[in-house]
Amino acid sequence: MHVSQERYGDTLVLTPIGRVDNSTTDRLKSGLDAYIASSRAGGNRLVLDFSKVDYISSVGLRVLMLAGKEIREQGGSIVVAALQPVVREIFEISRFNLVFQCFGSVREALTKVSPTALAAYDSAHGT
Amino acid sequence: MFNSRGVGHGVALLALLLVPILWQDMPIVGATRLAWLDGYQELSPRERRSAPAVIVAIDEVSLDRFGQWPWPRTLVAQLIDKLGAARPAAIGVDILFPEPDRLSPEWLAPSVAEVDPRLAARLAMLPRHDAVLAASIKAAPVALGIAGLEAGKPSEVAPLTPSLQRGSDARAALRHYASTLRSLPEIDTAARGHGLLSADTEAGVVRRVPLVALVGVTPVLPLSLETLRLASGEPLFFVQGGVAGVEAVGIGDLVVPTQSDGRLWVHYTPHDASRFVSAADVLGDKADPAQLEGKLVLVGVTGLGLIDYQSTPLGERMPGIEIHAQVLENVFDGALLVRPRWATWVEGLALFVMGLVVVCSVPRLSPGRSTVLLLLSLITLGAAGFGAYRVAGLLLDASVPGAAIVFLFAAMLVETLAEANAQKKLLQERLQRERESAARLAGELDAARRIQIGSLPRPESAFPSEHRFEISAAMEPAREVGGDLYDFFMLDAEHLFFLVGDVSGKGLPASIFMAVSKALCKSTALRRGRRVDELLHEANAEIARENPEFLFVTVFAGVLDVLSGRLEYCSAGHEPPFVLAADGEIARLEEGGGPPLCVLEEFSYVAAEHEMSRGGIVCVVSDGVTEAMNPAGELYGAVRLREALERGRNTENPAALVNAIRADISQFVDGAEAADDLTLLVLRWNGPSAR
Repeated sequence: MHVSQERYGDTLVLTPIGRVDNSTTDRLKSGLDAYIASSRAGGNRLVLDFSKVDYISSVGLRVLMLAGKEIREQGGSIVVAALQPVVREIFEISRFNLVFQCFGSVREALTKVSPTALAAYDSAHGT
Repeated sequence: MFNSRGVGHGVALLALLLVPILWQDMPIVGATRLAWLDGYQELSPRERRSAPAVIVAIDEVSLDRFGQWPWPRTLVAQLIDKLGAARPAAIGVDILFPEPDRLSPEWLAPSVAEVDPRLAARLAMLPRHDAVLAASIKAAPVALGIAGLEAGKPSEVAPLTPSLQRGSDARAALRHYASTLRSLPEIDTAARGHGLLSADTEAGVVRRVPLVALVGVTPVLPLSLETLRLASGEPLFFVQGGVAGVEAVGIGDLVVPTQSDGRLWVHYTPHDASRFVSAADVLGDKADPAQLEGKLVLVGVTGLGLIDYQSTPLGERMPGIEIHAQVLENVFDGALLVRPRWATWVEGLALFVMGLVVVCSVPRLSPGRSTVLLLLSLITLGAAGFGAYRVAGLLLDASVPGAAIVFLFAAMLVETLAEANAQKKLLQERLQRERESAARLAGELDAARRIQIGSLPRPESAFPSEHRFEISAAMEPAREVGGDLYDFFMLDAEHLFFLVGDVSGKGLPASIFMAVSKALCKSTALRRGRRVDELLHEANAEIARENPEFLFVTVFAGVLDVLSGRLEYCSAGHEPPFVLAADGEIARLEEGGGPPLCVLEEFSYVAAEHEMSRGGIVCVVSDGVTEAMNPAGELYGAVRLREALERGRNTENPAALVNAIRADISQFVDGAEAADDLTLLVLRWNGPSAR
């Protein structure tokens, strides 16, 4: 598994790629931890683009939960976007869709999270 | 493995090994060096290019023809006369005439005086032999040999060729003789030149001969160079002195570099008969005058067995006179061998550099590769030494540095192997300790697993006389202690509470968290009564307080009214259970619920209801069932579970259904190791008054 990142205005989009299971969770965790450590308190926004994640285990969910807790304690926000069917089902069964706001696409998420980020995203993607 | 201690030892040893190189005359080491340098000449002796010197040998043939040695000096005089007539460049005579000739007539006169006084008178009239020889010597360009003596005082009257000192006075560095053994003054003073015959042997081998030595305080040339001087017509020779001793010996324009003690390493060819002319042939006028004309003619006695035979570095014995001839060839051909003053430092540097390579690389390379490196080093050393000899006539020693490198290599190898053994032993000890601690930990985990499983209720004995429902459950822990749990108990006479949970995590923390969760759920359920949504809300708060590891736990909790079959349930993020109606219809309990416990504080869980049919079945599993994986990496999945349920619909009781599903999973995973705990709970409602 591998995590890439892209910044649009005031919002960071993290894109994990591959399976998030017991053996790969650490890489997602270090990606999130780095973001949490670098973000200043207040006003930080994070979108997790799950379009390239085809599975997430309960250990992966726990990492998301911990990251969510910390980001919210800092006054920031974290949302999830573009879930694939299998992962969407996992989110629904575990009701993690109640823990994280889920959006159909990154753009949709940015629309909700930050207008400046949306503008940056649109200009980057020529929309 | 790199080991700085080993390298430290190696460098110290290397420094020690430089001693025998810098201390040139160290016993054994010095002899080894000389033997190695001899090897160069043996391997590739000098090729004879010019023939400046001819040896007139008083050989066995001459002795046969003219009688035994010593010959009457008139015969020697005759020989010199004949040689002089052939117009050689000069004649060097390697013969001493220290005593009067007993065959001379004046010695015979007294013995015949009584018998024949007239004969005695006539004999006394004849010329004395020594006078005849002196006259012959005087008539030709002859240099006479003189022998160096270790004791005595140098004669003050005997003539020696004068010399000039150029540069500093290097006489202290020269081979010193206290005095000389010379021919009778009458003969000695007749000669125009006087050259030293002496040369020191080293372990029986003549390697170096003096090109200049000292008699008393006077520098003297050897017979070879003295003959050359005579030929050149120079009245004197010079000695070039430098900082470290003698640098060269010169005759006119000719300058011959020497070692600092005035000696020359003789560059040998093997014995060559074409250098020799028999004295018998000269006396018998059979020698070709062209062989002698313009040459440096050396006269010596070779026919006396082995009296004046010397060993050479080429490993053969050679008449001393031939060594004089070879010295002259060395000088004429410029084929001089030099062991430069800096040789010691070059050899020391070679050892230092190669030694450092050995010291640094042996600990890092395998013994095989190290040995290859060693051999390459030795070959390089030997080839460099031989190349310097062949190309430039330089005598550089490879044997002592080579031996030192071999010694160093052996020491480093021993040290490295010892170090490796020690490391291996250390590793083995560590492995043993790790095994022991792993065994201890496994024991503790086993204990934790037994406690975990022991805390779960035993379905077969939980409700001994209950007929309204039947319940069965099984939990198979994965290799590590996991965090699955199930529980069931009566809340009151009509309500059965059951629960299946799965902690997000593994190992001891998950196991402890599971036990805490189970206990808190039970106490909350018993306190709060039948409302499962309230139960989960409160258990969420209770468990979150005991959660240092930030684990979470999914829970499916249900309360069955055993009279009506009404099932109230609530899921905290758990896999939705299957319900199997008596008519075969299958559904899942997906309504209401919320996220796993300990994910969101103060979450209001929503309960849902399901009316069970008589004989209907609820099957709750943990994700260890749906995510059981076979060796191909496929998951068992909800679809296979559903099919297994349909197949097992008509089994006798829940326990049989549990076993059937476990068997189906076991067949599917086909021996692959389970990654997660696997929990199954099957509940069948038989109706309010069954049996």
